[in-house]
Amino acid sequence: MLAYAVRRVLATIPLLLIGTFVVYVLVSISGDPLAKLATCTQCDQQAFDRIIDLYDLDKPIPERYVNWVVNAVQGDFGPAVSFGSIDAGELVLERAANSARLAIPAFLIIVTIAITLGVYSAVNQYSRLDYAVTGLSFLGISLPTFVFALLLQTIMIWMLDAFGWRPFFVTGMRTVELDGFLPMLRSHVLPVITLVLVITASESRFQRAAMLEVINSDYIRTARAKGLPNRKVILRHGLRNALIPMATIWAIDFAALLGGSVVTETIFAWPGLGPLFISAVTQLDLNLTMAIVMLTSLLVIVFNLVADLAYGLLDPRIRYE
Amino acid sequence: MSDATLDAREGLTTVSRSFGRQAWDRFRRHRLAMIALVLLALMTTAFVVGPWLSPYAFSDQDFSALNQGPSLAHPFGTDPIGRDLMVRTFIGGRYSLRIALLIAVLTTAIGTVIGALSGYFGGRLGAAIDQVINLFLIVPSLIILIVLAARYGSGPNAIAIVIALLSWPLIARIVRGSFLQFRDQEFVLAARAAGASTRRIMFRHILPNVFGPIVVNATLLIGIAIILESTLGFLGLGVRPPVPTLGNLIAESKGALQTKPSAALIPGGFIVTITLCANFIGDGLRDALDPTSRKS
Repeated sequence: MLAYAVRRVLATIPLLLIGTFVVYVLVSISGDPLAKLATCTQCDQQAFDRIIDLYDLDKPIPERYVNWVVNAVQGDFGPAVSFGSIDAGELVLERAANSARLAIPAFLIIVTIAITLGVYSAVNQYSRLDYAVTGLSFLGISLPTFVFALLLQTIMIWMLDAFGWRPFFVTGMRTVELDGFLPMLRSHVLPVITLVLVITASESRFQRAAMLEVINSDYIRTARAKGLPNRKVILRHGLRNALIPMATIWAIDFAALLGGSVVTETIFAWPGLGPLFISAVTQLDLNLTMAIVMLTSLLVIVFNLVADLAYGLLDPRIRYE
Repeated sequence: MSDATLDAREGLTTVSRSFGRQAWDRFRRHRLAMIALVLLALMTTAFVVGPWLSPYAFSDQDFSALNQGPSLAHPFGTDPIGRDLMVRTFIGGRYSLRIALLIAVLTTAIGTVIGALSGYFGGRLGAAIDQVINLFLIVPSLIILIVLAARYGSGPNAIAIVIALLSWPLIARIVRGSFLQFRDQEFVLAARAAGASTRRIMFRHILPNVFGPIVVNATLLIGIAIILESTLGFLGLGVRPPVPTLGNLIAESKGALQTKPSAALIPGGFIVTITLCANFIGDGLRDALDPTSRKS
């Protein structure tokens, strides 16, 4: 299995190189780093030369990309120009930690709710509850994140007007160290709820489909036939097998959550990777964009690998060649 | 009464019904899908006809009613410079629907052709397309979108084309799977033996079998496209104002959530309703066109 894992990681390297190269070229050709200087009347040739020298602007883009790769492999992602030239790698890690503050609780809640709803509506297929869950997930899929988030904010504002008090903060991040435990909790609730709603809707559908497939299979009939209590059949024989195909979906969703959510974090003014990414790309901050893309693609690759390996542990019939 | 209908009535023969007719009968029985279809038709009519009937044009300013909530004169309220929000919402809906339809049609066309080619010919072409799809996983679509929009402008059509260029892999994968499944079956062999050209086999013999999933996914794409377009508009990365799309309208009024939540929530409600309708119609179409594939 170790050999398989190593081979898988090696196989993703070309893809990663091509992907980052595409991003590098796209961002590089979109803007002229000297444009701002060109309008400056007091700057002399020296200033131009310094910038050109600093960012190797006199070299062709592929060569600059190779330099970037060489530095990136050693952990040096260069300065984030749009953030006062602080280290891009450090900035990204700091923001990633803020995104993780939302991603981890959201993921745990999503998995719990999705399993419960999915299993329950599969076991009671075509019951009233099944239809209710189906309807809710349709609504969840159809409700754009930003509309739901605005709705939550409107409710909070209305509560503040009506009662002079609101349970949760509408924007910003509070931490235990700076603001205390309760403010921390109050600032995390709304963004987490928003993330949960959007992903739970689709995940509970997948869980339901997986569970339906399992409980219609022969070994479930066998388990029932030998007289096992219903609870045991569903939980021991059914659920455990219905969780295997979910591993991939969890991996994809968790990687996406950790990579920062552009919309949710923007609306709740959360200092995570999402808003950072938007600002990096719109300001064409090459180093910063590259550092974020590196992190998010690594997350996708790592979690896909974890899911594939988990497959083998959960289902011994799967062999890695 | 003719003999044929008499026979049919007495159960001696059955009146044969075309595939379209059968599908429509199945679709009609899906109650939610029918409601969604009617609702979508009503909204489309309102978007198209509404602005003509309204006494205000979409950029008319009413200085006696600046930044107001819903009232009789302005059912959806007015914006800070006195423009009637009902007309603006309808025009915005028009743009959003048009963009969504364009995205659905373009994405389906690109995805079908690429999926068909890679599924039928397989081999190196199929592998290459797989790699492109993988590449899309790593290169964030937002970067491509922002870069292309900076280059080719962000009018409604440009945004639709860019989004379509980013979302075809979804359809391509579905079509490719079906082509892989059908290309070695007997009816294809029979067609080839009868001398049909490759193009004819692909589009006349195999494609009709994939028709169901393609139509269903095109419908679902409308919902996805409405959400995508409005989210981009909300982030300020979509169609450039002053073109009012539903997303742009929400972006304009998100600052006034405290004083006038209706300005953001009404267009938001339209987005949700359109998407819900598209999803229910897609569900109904799946039952109608593709009854065997229904799983979840």
